Amino acid sequence: MDEQALLQNYLIVGALLFGIGLVGFFSRRNMIVMFLCAEMSLQGVSLSLVGWSRYHNDWGGQMLVIFILTVAACEAAIALAVVLTLFHRSGKLDIAVWQQLREDNQAAFVDRDLVELERRQQVRWPTLTPAGIEPEPDLDQDTHRTHI
Amino acid sequence: MNEMVAVLGLATAILALGLWFLLPRGAAAGRAIGALLAAVALGILASRIPGVGHLPAEIVFYILAGVTLLSALATIAFRKPVYSAIWFGLSLLGTGGLMLFGGAQFLGVATVVVYAGAILVTFLFVLMLAQPEGQAPYDQLSWAPRLAALTGALLVGTLTLVVVSVFENPDVALRPEAPFNAAELDENILSDEHMAHLGAELFSKHLLAVEVAGTLLLAALVGTVAIVAQIRQPEHGGSSHG
Repeated sequence: MDEQALLQNYLIVGALLFGIGLVGFFSRRNMIVMFLCAEMSLQGVSLSLVGWSRYHNDWGGQMLVIFILTVAACEAAIALAVVLTLFHRSGKLDIAVWQQLREDNQAAFVDRDLVELERRQQVRWPTLTPAGIEPEPDLDQDTHRTHI
Repeated sequence: MNEMVAVLGLATAILALGLWFLLPRGAAAGRAIGALLAAVALGILASRIPGVGHLPAEIVFYILAGVTLLSALATIAFRKPVYSAIWFGLSLLGTGGLMLFGGAQFLGVATVVVYAGAILVTFLFVLMLAQPEGQAPYDQLSWAPRLAALTGALLVGTLTLVVVSVFENPDVALRPEAPFNAAELDENILSDEHMAHLGAELFSKHLLAVEVAGTLLLAALVGTVAIVAQIRQPEHGGSSHG
């Protein structure tokens, strides 16, 4: 096989994977999808390293990828813990909830698009006009639980 | 050279447009157009780089690279995070295949086992816990999709230009030492005893780094437990809940 062409192919696929991951990390708002995109960038770098390792007939590149895998595993564990903590605090995976962590000189982000989207997607079901006597609320039924 | 710049510029512009169409933008549709544009840009890029010089190998490479890159695009395009995660898994399988193809057998398998087997499944668990309804309104929007798509496409275009122009320049010597032949490659990277060579290299030259990596894993484990243990503390200390 043409080793130089092979290296070139690996570098370009790696660059594309890194770029796609970067775009996803910049633009997606879900914390978990952002994390997956960061991992995708790491994969792009790993591919380039494997290409170089083959080209130079040397194990150094593959060693680096092994350590990238190790660090990615650590990062995944910590990211999971942080995402879970943030989710417990806000009930959302949206990164925009944490915008008070921004720098002091940055203006607050007003989420107009989200309000607009929610307004547009709100479904209005037809309702009947209330009529007749309002029934007594049954406390036993309201507080009954089949299981705890 | 100028022709190359023009072609790569065109591919970059098409890629930026395709990425912009692919990213979630509220109710605006157009993912099919985006996928088509991105595929066209990838095709233009693929047509400008030389083949690996062996037809079956080339077909296998292009299939693997296509699966990897298209599922990576699907990862950032799908609005439901669960679908994103599953497409990311397919992208990982493609990456693992590319690593196998490049002579990194252990890494190909390790990528699939560690990423797809452990990391991805754990994050799918979190998604199921946190967002059982699937799609939230904020998943249908993206931050500055135009700027993000442009940045990513420009980065890819510049990197590709550098790679292609370096390889086309005969004066640049990428490998100072004498080029090895196929037999040497078979004895080292592509040897039948891949794991034996890899292990010998890892546990001799890089022994200290292995120890450090082990310590890092331990520290990450302790840190994770410490972070997660804090979640419940306010409820224990608080008096609002009887």
